Amino acid sequence: MASRPNVARLYSCFASGTDSTVALIEVSIAPGIPTFSVIGLCDSSIKEAQGRLISAFKSTGFNMPKGHITIGISPAYMRKTGSGFDLPMALGILFASGQLYLPPDARIYAEGELTLGGDLKGTPGSCIRLKTVRDMIFDYKIIPQGESCSAGLAGFTGQGITSLSELSDIFDGNRYTESGFISEAVSPSADHLDISILKGQEKTKRALLISACGFHNILLTGSPGSGKTMAGKILSGLLPKLSREEMADVYALNELVQGESSVLSCERPVRMVGPNITVGKLIGNALTLSPGEMALANHGILFADELPLFKTDVLDFLRKPLEERKVHLMKRGNLYSFDSDFIFLGTGNPCRCGMLYEKDNKCRCTAGDIRRYMSRISGPFLERIDIFSEMRSISGEDMASIYIDDAGAESPEYRKTVERCWQIAHERYGGNYLNGTFPEGDIRDSMRIPEKVVRYASELSDKGFFSARGFTRILRVARTIADINESADISEADVSEAIQYRMRNL
Amino acid sequence: MEILTDRDKDFFYSAMILNTKINFRTLKELSDLKLIRNYRDLSDKDLLNRIVRKESELKSDTVSKINGLLESYGDIEKLVKNYKKIADANRIEVISCLDEYYPYNWKKLSGMPQVFYIRGNYRIVENMTLSGSVAVVGSRNPSRYALYATDQMCRELGCKGIAVISGMAYGIDRQAHISSVKTKGGTIAVLAGGVDNIYPASNKDIYDLICSNGLVISEMPPGQQPLRQYFPSRNRLIAGLSDCTLIMEAGAVSGTLHTASFAASQGKEVFVLPNNIYYKNSWGGLKLLEDGGNVLLNSESVIDSVARAVMYKRLDLGCSKEFYYSDIAKEEFGEAIDVSVLRELAKVKPEELTDDNWKDIIKDSLTLKPLCADELCGITMLPFYKVSRLLTELELNGTVCQEQGKYSLTFV
Repeated sequence: MASRPNVARLYSCFASGTDSTVALIEVSIAPGIPTFSVIGLCDSSIKEAQGRLISAFKSTGFNMPKGHITIGISPAYMRKTGSGFDLPMALGILFASGQLYLPPDARIYAEGELTLGGDLKGTPGSCIRLKTVRDMIFDYKIIPQGESCSAGLAGFTGQGITSLSELSDIFDGNRYTESGFISEAVSPSADHLDISILKGQEKTKRALLISACGFHNILLTGSPGSGKTMAGKILSGLLPKLSREEMADVYALNELVQGESSVLSCERPVRMVGPNITVGKLIGNALTLSPGEMALANHGILFADELPLFKTDVLDFLRKPLEERKVHLMKRGNLYSFDSDFIFLGTGNPCRCGMLYEKDNKCRCTAGDIRRYMSRISGPFLERIDIFSEMRSISGEDMASIYIDDAGAESPEYRKTVERCWQIAHERYGGNYLNGTFPEGDIRDSMRIPEKVVRYASELSDKGFFSARGFTRILRVARTIADINESADISEADVSEAIQYRMRNL
Repeated sequence: MEILTDRDKDFFYSAMILNTKINFRTLKELSDLKLIRNYRDLSDKDLLNRIVRKESELKSDTVSKINGLLESYGDIEKLVKNYKKIADANRIEVISCLDEYYPYNWKKLSGMPQVFYIRGNYRIVENMTLSGSVAVVGSRNPSRYALYATDQMCRELGCKGIAVISGMAYGIDRQAHISSVKTKGGTIAVLAGGVDNIYPASNKDIYDLICSNGLVISEMPPGQQPLRQYFPSRNRLIAGLSDCTLIMEAGAVSGTLHTASFAASQGKEVFVLPNNIYYKNSWGGLKLLEDGGNVLLNSESVIDSVARAVMYKRLDLGCSKEFYYSDIAKEEFGEAIDVSVLRELAKVKPEELTDDNWKDIIKDSLTLKPLCADELCGITMLPFYKVSRLLTELELNGTVCQEQGKYSLTFV
């Protein structure tokens, strides 16, 4: 008579993309020749767990039971990956073999990777998993202490452990204590470049301010060495700190890509991409569902350096995400969406030699060269850019005054304006919309644009100042300018300023 | 009244030239015959009577001319009295060719006035002998470009210590005086009428400025109206007084061209500002260039030319010391009025300027070359949002256009 196998049940979770699924892990040990098999569409990172488990058990005073060990992970039809199943598998074996006391009918949630020494490590995607598990009812929730940052952000409660040996305390000694996790953001570093170093580049300074205030996409063009890259870094310093939810979003994605990090930053992400970027790198990997640069730039800045050198397919691909502020990945008929709500900041030379805007006609390009160079960025793409500004090399005089008479930081003052504008926009639109990100549609009422201003703008449009498609862009920028001035309605003056940030002859 | 002092005699001479038939030929004849020492002797009635008696030695028309003078002697005396009154009231001085400080440049030319009248600071003429001078003349209705060039040239030359001479007319002349009046070189206005006679009357503002800081010169006695026929003679004096001549803009028919041909015939270099060939008012200047005028490319070529002239003068006067313009320290540019006043005001009380004032400043700044918005911010010291609004308005009414990130005037 075959003896009834000992079966232990536990719960864990696995993430695919930004979704996660709770998994049931069943461990059965039946007498027989010692075998170890894991079933349920698991990849080799899960199957390799056998080696880790044997060594970890040995190191912490447990034993790998002799017998027919079968581990089933359901839902069995979904592909699973990741070493986060190490801990539930280990617990299951220990319960089934009677090395640990399994309280009857206890629902147990566990995750974490084991080292050969029996220590517990966090695995990527913890933030997403813990958020899913947060609201479910479990009697025991055990996670690696290393995931405390994610747990804190997800609002997860449970017990964090660092080693397998602590399990005996919890189950045999019945010392399970459920508690919240604290994740404190480190204060922002003060080493942002200050906007005062853009002395003499008044247009760019103002353009950066407006861009930060309304979350407007911006393109800076200028000669090599005029400080375009610097301007990009300054912009991130002008944006307000991440809110708690935004911080969780940003952390979750970063954690998904890079794994656990104990530092929680409230700074907005700045993702730099160069001309050699591919569409794949921008969207992310559809196979592993790891987010690309656009998703990682969510709530921050996507900084495209040397924009005119980008491949046309990349630029044209960017158009849709810039409009929708979401990026989609398709895997086996399932659509996975990542938010990609960022400021697109492009920089580039205005022509091949880069000197087009410099003083004294330094540019040696022919008119045809210039047209060809800029035409690499397609018109429809440029339509999605709200603000254009030209930059020139800083004159020697200004350079001297930047370094000699230290006028003090200007960025804090700018940041105050930005914070005020964000507040105004949030109050006006409700929700987390800003002037640059408010959905298309009838913006006239929501943005409080008087009829005469619309008339004025259409008059300007007729005179060829901007295309019909640029119309709403102009009004959005004008709305931000009005917010900076703290005026309720948009005025003609705001529109006339907004026009100066348009690129002509599109 | 008695004609006693040299000053009275000078007045007498002016009145005589204007009101009798006596001219420089008569004077030459008399002095060749050793009948008079110089023009001043003609005011001596006894001497005149003695000359008339030597009828046989003289040409017949000379005798009649002197008789005519004797007849109108009383009238001329009255005129002299009148001149003296005006001169005293307006602090007008008389300079004679017998004076040591008679302008060197005129001494070397024939047909220059024996006496002339001045008001203001005569030291400018004295300094000018050894530091050079230029005549800056041009159209009364100039283009913005020519005005700008005049402004720049006069300031640069003035800063080097070179005097700027012009005719106090509208347009280029006016700008030349404004731009040079506060410079080291100073400014000299040569008038066609009497020194006290402001012509055109609307230039009273710069006349006052020149009287207090520069020098006003005329060969006409005080009170004399500027008549049409006096202007070419005045232009000859301008050319004669200067070491070289700048033609900033001249139409096909223009008094400016007289000045140029006088200068050329006096052996002085003529520089012409090159201008638009489709601009009617620049044809005269362009013709001069075709005829071999020097192209005015920068102030350096003018300074070189003046320096050569000054070197010869120095050799002649026995000044051994070599002279370089670079020795003169560059001074602050003098201030001009109009837009310059606005600019000054913008520095001190920017809140008092209206949008139109700012637009004028922007337009003025764009005259020379296209500028980008950042540079305009730097010039006006305004924040970008203000400048951008003004630029949009200027673009909207077609005054300014934007190309390759730079703004320029459309000249419409």
